[in-house]
Amino acid sequence: MQFDRSTYRISDAGTGIRNWLLIAGVGLIASAAGAFVDPKQFFFSYLTAFAFWCTLALGGLIFVILHHLFGSTWSVVIRRMSETTMRTMPLFAVLVIPILIGIPWLYHWADPSYVAGDYALPKKAGYLNVPFFVIRTVFYFAVWVTLSILLYRASLKQDESYTRENAKYMRTLSAPAAILYAVTITLASFDWLMSLDAHWFSTIYGLWFFSGAVTAFFAYTTTNVVFLFRHNILKEDLTPEHFHDIGKLLFAFMIFWAYMALSQFLLIWYANFPKETVFYLARWSGSWRALTLSIPIIGFAVPFVILIMRITKRNLNLLAGMAWLLLGMHYVDLYWNIMPNLHTETVVVSWMDVATMLFIGALFRWYYLRLFTQHAVVPVNDPKLGASFSFVNQ
Amino acid sequence: MEATERTTYGILAQFDGPDKLIEAAAKMRDKGFKQWDVHSPYPIHGMDGAMGEERSRLGLMVAAMALLGGLGILYFTYWTSAVDYRFIISGKPYFSYIAYIPIFFAVCVLLSAFTAVFGMLGLVNSKFHHPVFYSDNFAKVTDDGFFVSVLAEDPSFDKVQTKTFLEEIGGTNVEYLEGDD
Amino acid sequence: MLGNPGLHDVTETIAGLAERKETPIWWWVAMGISTPIAIMLLAVVGYLIWNGIGVWGVNNPVGWGWAIVNFVWWVGIGHAGTLISAILHLLRQKWRTSINRFAEAMTLFAVMCAGLFPAIHVGRIWVIYYMFPLPNQMAMWPNWRSPLLWDMFAVGTYFTVSLLFWYTGLIPDLATLRDRAKNLTRKKIFGALSLGWRGGNRQWKHYELAYLILAGISTPLVLSVHSVVSTDFATSILPGWHTTIFPPYFVAGAIFSGFAMVITLAILARIVMPETKNYITMDHLEKMAKVIMVTGLMVGYAYSTEFFIAWYSAWEYERFAFINRAFGPFAWAYWIMITCNVLTPQIFWFKKMRQSVVVLFIASIFVNIGMWFERFVIVMTLHRDYLPSSWGYYTPTWVDIATYIGTFGLFFTLFLLFLRFVPIIAIAEVKAVLPHAQPHGHH
Repeated sequence: MQFDRSTYRISDAGTGIRNWLLIAGVGLIASAAGAFVDPKQFFFSYLTAFAFWCTLALGGLIFVILHHLFGSTWSVVIRRMSETTMRTMPLFAVLVIPILIGIPWLYHWADPSYVAGDYALPKKAGYLNVPFFVIRTVFYFAVWVTLSILLYRASLKQDESYTRENAKYMRTLSAPAAILYAVTITLASFDWLMSLDAHWFSTIYGLWFFSGAVTAFFAYTTTNVVFLFRHNILKEDLTPEHFHDIGKLLFAFMIFWAYMALSQFLLIWYANFPKETVFYLARWSGSWRALTLSIPIIGFAVPFVILIMRITKRNLNLLAGMAWLLLGMHYVDLYWNIMPNLHTETVVVSWMDVATMLFIGALFRWYYLRLFTQHAVVPVNDPKLGASFSFVNQ
Repeated sequence: MEATERTTYGILAQFDGPDKLIEAAAKMRDKGFKQWDVHSPYPIHGMDGAMGEERSRLGLMVAAMALLGGLGILYFTYWTSAVDYRFIISGKPYFSYIAYIPIFFAVCVLLSAFTAVFGMLGLVNSKFHHPVFYSDNFAKVTDDGFFVSVLAEDPSFDKVQTKTFLEEIGGTNVEYLEGDD
Repeated sequence: MLGNPGLHDVTETIAGLAERKETPIWWWVAMGISTPIAIMLLAVVGYLIWNGIGVWGVNNPVGWGWAIVNFVWWVGIGHAGTLISAILHLLRQKWRTSINRFAEAMTLFAVMCAGLFPAIHVGRIWVIYYMFPLPNQMAMWPNWRSPLLWDMFAVGTYFTVSLLFWYTGLIPDLATLRDRAKNLTRKKIFGALSLGWRGGNRQWKHYELAYLILAGISTPLVLSVHSVVSTDFATSILPGWHTTIFPPYFVAGAIFSGFAMVITLAILARIVMPETKNYITMDHLEKMAKVIMVTGLMVGYAYSTEFFIAWYSAWEYERFAFINRAFGPFAWAYWIMITCNVLTPQIFWFKKMRQSVVVLFIASIFVNIGMWFERFVIVMTLHRDYLPSSWGYYTPTWVDIATYIGTFGLFFTLFLLFLRFVPIIAIAEVKAVLPHAQPHGHH
């Protein structure tokens, strides 16, 4: 890739980006084959992959909203990256369709005969029914896509020329956006993931989902910053101070996620209440136990010790390594939430897990890079850009 | 008291504002002084670089003590609840390590905080009786004064030359830190 | 900061307030009100210890009454102080320097008031050392599994760390008072307290790192403290108490009420000490109003999620607990809570409201009332349990009321002493963020 520092644009994006489409195509063919071979496995794999990549876009959306609300300086450098991640939302509005098709395979509450014989599900049928589920999902994406497009468009407008009105517009839009976001992401987590076991409930689930999304998004952004740096983009502008700061935030978001996960676990473990403990008991059987243990150890303890050190945050390889680890563990976390509903006894890794990840992931990456290379890599007219480039950690 | 009995402990020079101070600090560093310091009413960014100071080791001390405290309380909770006095409460295992997380966390934090504060107090080498306090002008350091001090213990200290040097690099009110005790 | 003060002006204004010879009338008046109330607290606590906690309104089925409500309320108020000092420091929000000292003092005094309640609630306060892991005559150790013990560790740690943080921040300012002291006694007192501080860069570099570390550990600490407090309820199996959102929900509520208290106190300080207006500006108040609005929405989010999941759980006890909360005998408390906590902060969507001192003051009081009722509503879940024959109602006695009022006496007495004798704004920190304080090319 060729980078023009005077305009902060990528003058020549190269042809590499198109290769992602090729990979996505391979993933698509494999996934489609899977859908015919074993639809149940396919839909579960697809839901996991979808949740993984969609949470990146969701994390980007809230990050942009919070950036405008707080008016912070340090985040200006990664603002365009966040906006690009957020702007992939229309892709997910399309990619969610297979999940809507897969409702009968994914969700036991969609089976009328099962619900009729159940002690609890008829009481919540007013919420958990197919039409309402579809309407809600359409509504979530209507909100997210609209917000992404409006915020992204306003940001590009700022690239042409800075106006106070435009900056104010983004800030004003962000306030109601944050509220809409909180409601939709919570209900989305209840709908898509929590209702996989329609008997189980946890009030913190929305916050857990949100914290995972933000952490994963930030890990993704960290890998992108390193990616740009390696391609000599922003090389003169990004200093160890920026990496240090990004490392600190990655660390903070990881703790935020761990706090949510621990709150849920500790309270359910302590109260030892059968209605709730089923969730953890199911994940304590067979090889699920190893996966369960890997989440606090590899997903928290190890990166905690490594990221707390100053050298990690100033070493690109280590920092990128930690970001990749956290991204990987975000997938494990989602997998661990979703899959025990399908493979109740033990972990069964399927080739469809890989195929669906390849399909959605490669498509996402292609979309992301295509958008990103078309515009300036930083918001060039943001008044705080200079301060953001030159800032120094304490 | 007669002037001849007074010992010179060092020299103090005042500077006009943070910009002058940071320039002076760089010159002091290049001159090779060791037992010297700059004094200001608030911390000045970039001064460590100008003085050639290394980073504080406090972080390591805190991490070590947090680890020690964490392991200590982990063992202590284990020993008290699973070894010394076994007792089943609310149907939970003797060593209910999950329920000990809040205690573990609190102890780690407590030890870190103590280490941060008392470690800092140790490292800053505060003394109630320090040569700079011989200067009456030095009272400004907590108000609006910026100073450079050189102690007589410094190998390159010379009563006359150092004073001249401090004046050359822009110091005003250059005075000997002298006391009779 | 308003008026663009120089370094010396900052010293003069803030240190001058702590040094003034003439104690203002308002201070004596305020002291004259709060000290007798604090003394009354002593008397009431003595009465309670003498008679036992039967003098409170607690009984079956409501075994926890005002004491736990007051405890959670006061701890929650304390949290804003730590947040302002710690999190805003980490986020490099420079505006915090004007209010952090003040807010940290509020934390300390609020936690003192809070700590009183569990201590006297144990009933036999003379054997409170059982709570500590000390070898005793029964060869028993504390029950580490108990959330009440976690509480003791969390709140104890919180108080200690807050005190250390506060004192660390004070050291350079105490040195200022030392250097400005006019008589030997003051010089000796502040000389001793400032620990020989000489403002050397070889000192500042350790000092700044220590401060950063303290901020770094205080941030998770403050989140953990109210999370632990929430586990007092949430580890039980009581519908309405046992719900997984409690830890973050309590933390949001704590920030909410704490910032409201900071606004209340800051406005009072601006009125009685007009000198502080250049430091505690309308801009600060407006920022805090925004925090209140955001955290108000967060608690609103928690209330709705709880309600929704109670319905979604399809479990009759869970559903009953929440319907009873909103429409049962304590519905009045529930709707006070909703009005004060969810509706009131919405006025801060309007800039005019955020900039009106009167509106800010009234709203901050409302929020404090609302947050007290939030804990009251939660505790009162007890009044109707699984067995209708054991249902009851809770009424506080005069001892409950007097104890609660008494803690205000204690709080304000301590706070007034702080206002009178300590630099109420962090002098060194304010100086460091003045426009020309840092060398050019470095910031």
